[in-house]
Order: sequence, then C-alpha cells, then structure tokens
Amino acid sequence: MTADAAAPPAIELRGLRKVYRRGGKQTVAVDGLDLTVRRGEVFGLLGPNGAGKTTTVEICEGLLAPDAGEVRILGRQWGRGDDQSLRQRLGVCLQETKFHDKATVRETLQLFAAFYPGGRSVDEALALVSLQEKATARQAALSGGQRQRLAVATALLGRPELLFLDEPTTGLDPQSRRQLWEVVRRFQREGGTVVLTTHYMDEAQQLCDRIAIVDHGTVIARGTPAELIRSLGAEHFLHLDLEPAAARELLAAGDLERLPEVQALQADGGRVVLTVASIHRVLPAVLDLLTGRGVVLRDLATRHATLEDVFVHLTGRHLRDEGAA
Amino acid sequence: MKPRIVRAIAAVTFREFWRSPDAVFWTYGFPLLMALVLGYAFQTPSPQPLPVAVVASAEAEAIVARLQRDPRLRPEVLAADAADRSLARGRTALLVRPTAQGPVLRSDPTRPDAELARLLVERALRPAGAESQPALVGEVEDRPGSRYIDFLIPGLIGLNLLGAGMWGIGFNLVHLRTQRLLRRLVVTPMRPREFLLGFLLGRGVLVVPEAIAIALFGALVWGVPFRGSLLAFALLVLAGGFAFMGLGCLLAARPRTIEAIAGLTNLCQLPMWLLGGVFFSNERFDGALQWLVEAVPLTHLNGALRDVMLEPAGLIDVAAPLGGLVAFGALCFVLAVRWFRWT
Repeated sequence: MTADAAAPPAIELRGLRKVYRRGGKQTVAVDGLDLTVRRGEVFGLLGPNGAGKTTTVEICEGLLAPDAGEVRILGRQWGRGDDQSLRQRLGVCLQETKFHDKATVRETLQLFAAFYPGGRSVDEALALVSLQEKATARQAALSGGQRQRLAVATALLGRPELLFLDEPTTGLDPQSRRQLWEVVRRFQREGGTVVLTTHYMDEAQQLCDRIAIVDHGTVIARGTPAELIRSLGAEHFLHLDLEPAAARELLAAGDLERLPEVQALQADGGRVVLTVASIHRVLPAVLDLLTGRGVVLRDLATRHATLEDVFVHLTGRHLRDEGAA
Repeated sequence: MKPRIVRAIAAVTFREFWRSPDAVFWTYGFPLLMALVLGYAFQTPSPQPLPVAVVASAEAEAIVARLQRDPRLRPEVLAADAADRSLARGRTALLVRPTAQGPVLRSDPTRPDAELARLLVERALRPAGAESQPALVGEVEDRPGSRYIDFLIPGLIGLNLLGAGMWGIGFNLVHLRTQRLLRRLVVTPMRPREFLLGFLLGRGVLVVPEAIAIALFGALVWGVPFRGSLLAFALLVLAGGFAFMGLGCLLAARPRTIEAIAGLTNLCQLPMWLLGGVFFSNERFDGALQWLVEAVPLTHLNGALRDVMLEPAGLIDVAAPLGGLVAFGALCFVLAVRWFRWT
C-alpha cells in the first residue's frame, strides 16, 4: 500500500452534479464539483452543513448516483459490473451509523470481518482503535466516542486503500477526537489515503494534507492548510481592547489603518481587530501610536489566522453559524 | 453467493432476536397462549342453552314448563316491555307471547341463534299427539381429529408462520433501514441477496421448533392427533415460513418508515386472517370471494397442514401446496432483491 506515482489518483471527480427532487422542489446539492485526491494523502472536505460534502462523499462511496459528471475511484467507475471488487478496497465510516443494538463490539467486528477475506483480524481491529476492554460490551453500553471508534474499526477491517470518514468526530469530546485523529494518522503512515469531511476547522488544519473548501455544492478554494491561510494575504490578527471614547477618536483620525503592515481593521466600540502580515513588525508601531495619543490599552491579544478566517473571507459567513442552524 | 457472509448475517440477526426477550415472547410464546385460550373457549362439547323470553300472562307458567323439558332451551318469564328490550339487545334469542289464538313466536331471523330457537320452541309447544314421528338419535362429534380444537391447532401453526414471517422480517428490515445500518452494509463487498438470505435464515431458524411446539402442545393438552408424515409436516412449515418471510422481504423492500411497513403488513395480513381458514372453514364462501380464498397462500398452507395432522397424508399428498408455497416465496424473494432500497 505505498503511494505509486504511476497509479491513478485515489479519487477523480469532474463536473459532479447532484440534484434532490422532493415534491416538485429541487435542491442542488452538488453543482459542478471538480476534485482530485492523490494517493497517500489525508484530504479534507471542509464546509458548513448542507454544503454538499456528504453527498459528494456518498457518490464516491457508490451509495448515490450523480446526475452528471465523472467519478473515478482508484481509477475505477461505479456500475461497470465490478463494484464488489472495488468495495473490497474501500473503508467507509458513514455519518451516524447505528450497529445492531444487541451485538457486542466483537460480534459487530466479526460480522464485518466476514465481508473481507484476508483483512485484519478482529483483535487487530480492536487494538487499532483501543477498544480491547470494550470487546464484550453491547452497543448500548458504549459512549459516543467508543461507538465512533467502533465505526472506524469496521472501516479498517478490510485493510482498505482508501478510507472515507464522514464527520467522524462530530459530537465527540476533545479526548475522543484526539484518539480518532491518531488512528487516522497511523492509517496514513501505513500508506492509506483518507477523505474526511468536517465542519471543524481545527480538525482539518491538524489532520489534512490538503483541503477543499466546499460551499453551495462547489469547491470555492483548495490547497494545503498553510496555502489557504496564506491566501488571505495576512496570517495574524491583533486584538486591542481600548477605552471606548479614546478609541472613537483614534479611529476617526484613521491613524491605525495607515500603519504599514495593517491590511484590514474591524472595530466594535473599544474592541479593535487588525489584520496584519506579521505581528513583530506591527506591534511596536501600534504601541507607540497608542502611547503618543495617550490612549489606555486595557488588553492585547494576537491570534494566528485559521481556516475559519479563510471561509469567512470567501463567503462572509461563519462555518459554525451554518452548523448550528 | 458466499456462505461465509450469509452465515455471519444470519448469526447477528438471530442473536439480535434471541437477546430480546419481549420479541421472543410475542413471536413464539404468544401463539401458545392463544392456542390455550381458544382451545378452552371452544372445548365445551354441549353448547350453551338458548335463552327464550316468555311474556308474563296467565298461560306463561304452563309454556315455561313445556319449554323446560328441552335442555337446549332456557326460558324465563318477563314483563312485555322487558321481554321486548331483551330481544332487541340480543340477550334472548326468541320471544314467546301467549295470545288467545295460541302462542306467537317473535325473533330476528338474521341472528344466528334465532332460527334454531324457533325450531326448538315449535317442537316443544307442539300439541300432544303430534309426537308420533320416529325419534331421531343425536350424536355429539367429539372424536379426536374432528373437533374444533383439531381444526384450530393447524390453523394456528399457519397463522404463526404468517406473523413470524411478515412482522419478524418486514418490520425489522425497515427498522435497520431507519437506523441507517443498511447503508453501512451496502458499502461493503456484501451482495444484496447474501444479506437478505442471511436475514431470512437468522429469523427463520426457529420456525420448525415453534411449529412442533404448538403441535405437541395440542397433542398433550387436547389430544389433537398427528396422523400424517412428519417429514411432510416439517417441509410444509419450512415452505410456509419461506413464503411469508419472502413476502415480508418484498413488503419491506421500499418503505422508509415504520408506519408504512406496519400499514402494508396489515393490508396483506388482514385478508389472510379472514380468508386463510384459521379460525373457521373457508370452503363455504361463494363466487368471487372463494376465488380470493384460493389466491391466499395461507389457505393452501393451512389446508395442507390439516391434511398431514388430521389425515394420514404423506409428502405426495401435499406436494402441490408445498411446491406452490416455495414458488411464491421464491418469487417474492427475487422481487425483493431487485427492488430493495438500502438508503
């Protein structure tokens, strides 16, 4: 399972389109989406709920048929009479799957193991996701994180070349999330390719080699996390908390905005956020200016730009706002 | 078709069922309970005497005395309005109103007991001297194999196969679909027919022991006979189970909600309950209804089960219904595999 330069890409999508029709109403879920996932990388589809991430992934998994476009998974196409052998090479972890209520963790894995001759043993899969102690526990006795790890274990049983994880950590506590990230990293180290969807920007930033930001069914930006953040033109934010009256005067004069390195300014009363390329060059100038005007600085914080900022920059909306809706 | 996959599906399906005590009871314990209750309800050899109301008058006492000679009648004297009310409510089968010209008999002939009561009352009140016809001897049919309970037990076995197949399969398949477990399974290399067959085996493995339990229960409690071929019986139970499980698969092929599958199952099950010859004979309907009776698979299963239990029928005697049931189940199964919705 090593990345082979001559092998076709793990996934190639061209002009993918999917429309849901219900009761005369049409919803365009995926609208002309193009995507290439290389072998051996962890690729993230990042976007708000309803952006078309899950639809895209389910088309790749062969669960849904697209209305238009071309889909190649490990160089193969669905519906050409050989789906079963392609499925042997894929691992899938869907959003919120419930397994048999009365089956234990081990029994659930035994079921899936039967689908993959030559795959991992049940014990190996248990160890991969650190569920050995829960082997005899039934579904109902598992926490959300344990269930999700079981779902990932069922996906890893067949030693897949390509692993799909659809919102694998939604609703999990931080510790469970980190455990799952570790499983994903180990899978990648062994040569596997991962496609994961998420609306957690930190997850995408931590795990993914490359990312496609999806909104309204199309890719609006793509690249490594670092490239995407660099595309903002400024990677840092300087948060100032000023005495409001003094802040108003200062802002009216426009001196802050005129400082070199400051690319944008947002103000809300005394709270001012400067978008800057480098903190170490802009900070002395800001402090000099404030001292010179006699403005009291109540607090100061700096923050590195995140993928969330990239999304806000591209769409004017927040990722999580949509998620909560 | 990979036996390894079918076995794995069957194992997890069987455990899922076996580990739900309530499901086990309602599928397998309840029919035994029903056999017990119905068996006792219908076992009294002599039916209840028919209530007859006699309107209070001078002659009433004499009429009552004559009616009492027939144990099948239970006369009582009532005031005129009370007697009318009693007849209207069906508490009495017939009303006798003494008049100067002799007693008048009043009844509603659409009620099942009314005509029988009229015949008995007419005979009891016949003038003396008219009783010179030869006396007819009545016999009670109580030989094992000919009683109602003997008719009922094979019907209950058929009914149980129907319920276990249609509810046990249909309902649970749709449940798995609503849980999104079917989606998860279909993205594995498993094939649809492997899944459905494993599911049938997992749920159907208890079908034969359960049918034997009901038959044994009937034999021990009421002496219901078993005169035919045990092999034919076992094959019939398997074929019946397969037919109704196939139908359960077919009904569950598309629905996405529990409400939809419950409605569909009831729609299919109700005519079978009514026409399948479970509780009463279905050989006396006329015209189009009899055609429907013949179209219902339960009719043929129950008929064949009665043949092997109550008559010394062998495999050859029930070959036609046996083949029909298997063919019906196979057709349902193939259509279910074709139309099955995984998402």
